[in-house]
Amino acid sequence: MSLNGYRAYGLRIHADFECPELPCLHIETGNPDVTIRLLPPTVDAMESLESGHYEVQSGIFRLVVPDVAFYRVEEGCRIFITPLPGVSIEKLRLFLLGSAMGALLYQRGLFPLHGSAIETPWGAMIFVGTQGAGKSTLAAQFYLKGYRLLSDDVCAVEATPDGLWTLPAFARFRLCADAFARFGSPQDARFDVDKFVVPVRNNYCPCPVPLRAIHILADHDNNNPEFEELRGFDRVQRLLENLYRPHFLKGQGTQSILMQMAGLIAQKTTIASVSRRRAPEMIEGLVGFLESAWAERFGANPPKENN
Amino acid sequence: MRRFSPQDKLSRSEMLSTEIDQETILMSIDAGAYYGLKGSAQSIWEKLETPLTFSALVDGLVKEYRISPEACAADLEGFLAEMEREGLLSVE
Repeated sequence: MSLNGYRAYGLRIHADFECPELPCLHIETGNPDVTIRLLPPTVDAMESLESGHYEVQSGIFRLVVPDVAFYRVEEGCRIFITPLPGVSIEKLRLFLLGSAMGALLYQRGLFPLHGSAIETPWGAMIFVGTQGAGKSTLAAQFYLKGYRLLSDDVCAVEATPDGLWTLPAFARFRLCADAFARFGSPQDARFDVDKFVVPVRNNYCPCPVPLRAIHILADHDNNNPEFEELRGFDRVQRLLENLYRPHFLKGQGTQSILMQMAGLIAQKTTIASVSRRRAPEMIEGLVGFLESAWAERFGANPPKENN
Repeated sequence: MRRFSPQDKLSRSEMLSTEIDQETILMSIDAGAYYGLKGSAQSIWEKLETPLTFSALVDGLVKEYRISPEACAADLEGFLAEMEREGLLSVE
């Protein structure tokens, strides 16, 4: 069996099948943080779980995706996949890199957010919001302007004694048709379910970056975008509302650590609501607007990054 | 109005919680509901970490806030009834 090595969320990952969505691990040491195993397909993979259900226990997460697979995630370091007969590898990966990895992040005490992150001279900026809020579109627009991508769609925050860090994860964009066209419709993209998947090979930031601000994207009718910093209680609530797969939190052995992290992130990070009128011709203006908002709040001449 | 008797046993519900700016935030994932507790509300929540009778809770608050037991019990009833309505408290 050939091993495929990847690095995401600061973790060394070995999978026994290819996951092109993840950045490759360039130096092998033989000791991965996470192993992903594909078990032989079987019809009675459900064990005691009902189809479509999941179960969170301390250190063990189980999920059955109908017609796809049974996923078992253990102790933040092992993922076992039992495919159901006839499923495609793309489908298996979709739930592996989504729900199963999400559960693994919870088990490891990493704070997963449903959002995209870019590296800026001020630190990492994260864009969150509901499905279709424009997170990837905005991150992609910053990327086109030369900013490096940390992760698209799901990103994770780690708390260390040195502060809060945004971890690099997915080296690809999932874009809607409009954003894909602005991207120049690259040849190496593929269409997956409802989005164009564009690999990011250059200008991906492979190192953790200090977290600076989290932006919750919202719509309004006004042509002028607004940047409103949240205060008090709202910060925690809006942060928790934008967790990735929030219902996986309850029952985790790490749930109280993660709740403490929510308080810490809300306290130490700028959490802002960014409202704008959504239209393709407005997106460039929004990028400039946010750059000015950051310069105003965090300093016009941020220290140059060394890397 | 909801009345409590001295022997009523009060147990707070299992909630996820965190702190920010001296405020306790409670979260119910199932209901998608959030609650912020400050000052005496926060203190009551902390005292109920282990189940208490109504009279024991009044005694604790009377000591902490130097108020009369009657005034304390009257204020407390309103707050506990609200907690009960929101599913933050069960009473036996």
